[in-house]
Amino acid sequence: MKGILFALFGGIFITLQGVANSRISQDIGTWQAATITQMTGFILAVVLMVSFRDRTWQNFKRVKPMYLFGGTFAAVVIFSNVTAIHKVGVTLTISALLIAQLSVAFLTDTCGWFGVTKQRMRLPQFIGIGMMVAGVLILSM
Amino acid sequence: MLLGIIFALIAGSLVGLQNIFNSKVNEHAGSWATNVLVLGLGFLASFTLGLLFEGKQLFRLHHMQTWYWFSGVIGVGVVTCVVQGLKRLSPTIAISIVLASQLGFALFLDSIGAMGLKPVPFTLKELLGVLIIIGGILVFKFSGQQESQQSEKAS
Repeated sequence: MKGILFALFGGIFITLQGVANSRISQDIGTWQAATITQMTGFILAVVLMVSFRDRTWQNFKRVKPMYLFGGTFAAVVIFSNVTAIHKVGVTLTISALLIAQLSVAFLTDTCGWFGVTKQRMRLPQFIGIGMMVAGVLILSM
Repeated sequence: MLLGIIFALIAGSLVGLQNIFNSKVNEHAGSWATNVLVLGLGFLASFTLGLLFEGKQLFRLHHMQTWYWFSGVIGVGVVTCVVQGLKRLSPTIAISIVLASQLGFALFLDSIGAMGLKPVPFTLKELLGVLIIIGGILVFKFSGQQESQQSEKAS
């Protein structure tokens, strides 16, 4: 039950983040909004890391260097997300975002990218993505 | 409309890649340290691109409201809730709930026109579209789960 609540709030926070950024960017600009939300998030994360005595950053050197730079994508993600929300609204933006996100996960699994165990493509995945695309088309009509 | 959808697709692909990269970091480091790295680099990248595109304008925050300074809390909330959800449930169920909740909440915010959004009236069309997308997530996710279980048995 607790896990379900965490997952529910995880989703709510993701959407809220996009909408809050889009609201903030109307006042101060998109890059300003991205910089401030990431900066304050970073400060809070540092405070939490220190107070929970998490010293595992020492293990960063054991991670393949490429993977350490995932965080930099956030700049482009926030800019694109905010621009999309301004142009087509939240529901359609989140729907298209989900399709792209699942497609990347699907390609990673089927092509075995990034050291993930390769999995064969199956019909249900195509049906799933097809249904999602159909849903987005209905929303954008 | 097309341009908006293209931007959303770019954001989604990068989020998908970022999830994979972040989980690779999380295999070795704890979730707080991962959080610090991800948000720190996000800040550096936003700041650099912001300076590049806006120059000194980046520091001009005319209509700043107090709550804008606390918006970073949402980002920490995202990482914490998703990581805790994943820890307690199977990945398939956790991610399906996260995705469905994302979409449901988007529909809610759109229909009430929250935070300066132009209200999109909630009609049968919206309901149908969102239900089909959630159905698609379930078909996609749950059949994938069976596949990986079968391949685990096979190996």
